[in-house]
Amino acid sequence: PGAIRFRAGEASALPASVSPRRRWWHGGDSAAPRGGGAKKAVLFFEVEILDAKTREKLCFLDKVEPQATIAEIKNLFTKTHPQWYPARQSLRLEPKGRSLKDEDVLQSLPVGTTATFYFRDLGAQISWVTVFLTEYAGPLLIYLLFYFRVPFLYGPRYDFTASRHAVVHLACACHSFHYIKRLLETLFVHRFSHGTMPLRNIFKNCTYYWGFAAWMAYYINHPLYTPPAYGDEQVKLALAVFLFCQLGNFSIHVALRNLRPAGSKTRKIPYPTRNPFTWLFLLVSCPNYTYEVGSWIGFTIMTQCLPVALFSLVGFVQMAIWAQGKHRSYLREFRDYPPLRSPIVPFLL
Amino acid sequence: MSRVFLTWAVTHSVKEVQTEDSVLLFVVAWTITEIIRYSFYTFSLLNHLPYLIKWARYTLFIILYPMGVSGELLTIYAALPFVRQSGLYSISLPNKYNFSFDYYTFLILVMISYIPLFPQLYFHMLRQRRKVLSHTEEHKKSE
Repeated sequence: PGAIRFRAGEASALPASVSPRRRWWHGGDSAAPRGGGAKKAVLFFEVEILDAKTREKLCFLDKVEPQATIAEIKNLFTKTHPQWYPARQSLRLEPKGRSLKDEDVLQSLPVGTTATFYFRDLGAQISWVTVFLTEYAGPLLIYLLFYFRVPFLYGPRYDFTASRHAVVHLACACHSFHYIKRLLETLFVHRFSHGTMPLRNIFKNCTYYWGFAAWMAYYINHPLYTPPAYGDEQVKLALAVFLFCQLGNFSIHVALRNLRPAGSKTRKIPYPTRNPFTWLFLLVSCPNYTYEVGSWIGFTIMTQCLPVALFSLVGFVQMAIWAQGKHRSYLREFRDYPPLRSPIVPFLL
Repeated sequence: MSRVFLTWAVTHSVKEVQTEDSVLLFVVAWTITEIIRYSFYTFSLLNHLPYLIKWARYTLFIILYPMGVSGELLTIYAALPFVRQSGLYSISLPNKYNFSFDYYTFLILVMISYIPLFPQLYFHMLRQRRKVLSHTEEHKKSE
């Protein structure tokens, strides 16, 4: 490190035996020698990108700025391999190492002046926003199909009839409100760390959300639906829990958004604000998940429907896993992370 | 998994099918398969695997697997009318948990699931057979 490396003449002198499959692309004309007459010694890097599985040389970049970011290197790589757009590239220092971040700067990485990166194809990618909008729009519409008793769902004599139970109408309002809220948050509130996720996730996620929505909606809007055993009091209590938790969940989403300036990917420790709903941050790392489970528990009590309870349970398990992961990464990243907090359930989980 | 299901959820639960020939068919197929399979694991752990056991494990399945599957499917099919009649493991609306489950339909779905699953497992075993048995031949030739 410190030596100025130049490869005079190499750009024009490719060996005749190089097969088309192993084309090397050289950035810039390094045929002109840079000698001692240069006014400023600029240390350029060379980057070679190898396939992590086959170790095949996929790309060679020379004259790379030391302050180049991984994102810029990914863009250069896409030029020679356009089918691998940057979102589906994983570059790492070891074949089985962790992926380098887009913001990482070349000269701050533990590499020599010739950096070797290993490439793994992450597969076709789809944006988080697209996935969220699709997976939330489904339940909104599907539930309404059952609510309005569209033909072929129940017997023909029930087509387009309405339930005589007030709680069924209330449940439709709550369910719809919940998913409209989620859609609006996706469009206007959330700031995503990652732009994309693997394409197969959209099929998995939509099956989950749409499937459960249909299953729950079928029973709640069924002509033989049985309203809650404790009547109006049960429904009123459940509605209070549901609304409280919806407000709580929204408050946390806004608080998290305000932690992060637009277009950035900064991570900070979230703290309680003046909004009382955010005071749950004192006890829990991911109060948004806590409130979300609370909402669905409220909805379960309101409808007294076993499929809703099962949906709440499955959702809770998944969110608990996410919360523990988030909690662990907070602990790893911040020395002064408040020790009282648990991942999702105060003091317990 | 399918062993537990066939044994408990079908044959034990629906007493009327216990005298069917199909039950004998899958019990015989499973028994022979398991004796060979566990001998294979045991000898492998002792690092002394007789070729006969390896051969048996990767060859006899060609007959035993379809035999077992036929026995299983015929048994489930035989149980269907009794499940329909008695409403076994089924719950219908209305009820206070607003939930329903039809075991009869569930059994039909289980039978249908054999269609994609059986060929996948069978061809996987055939591929394993080619890999494992040709490997041993190479070893023998090099000796």
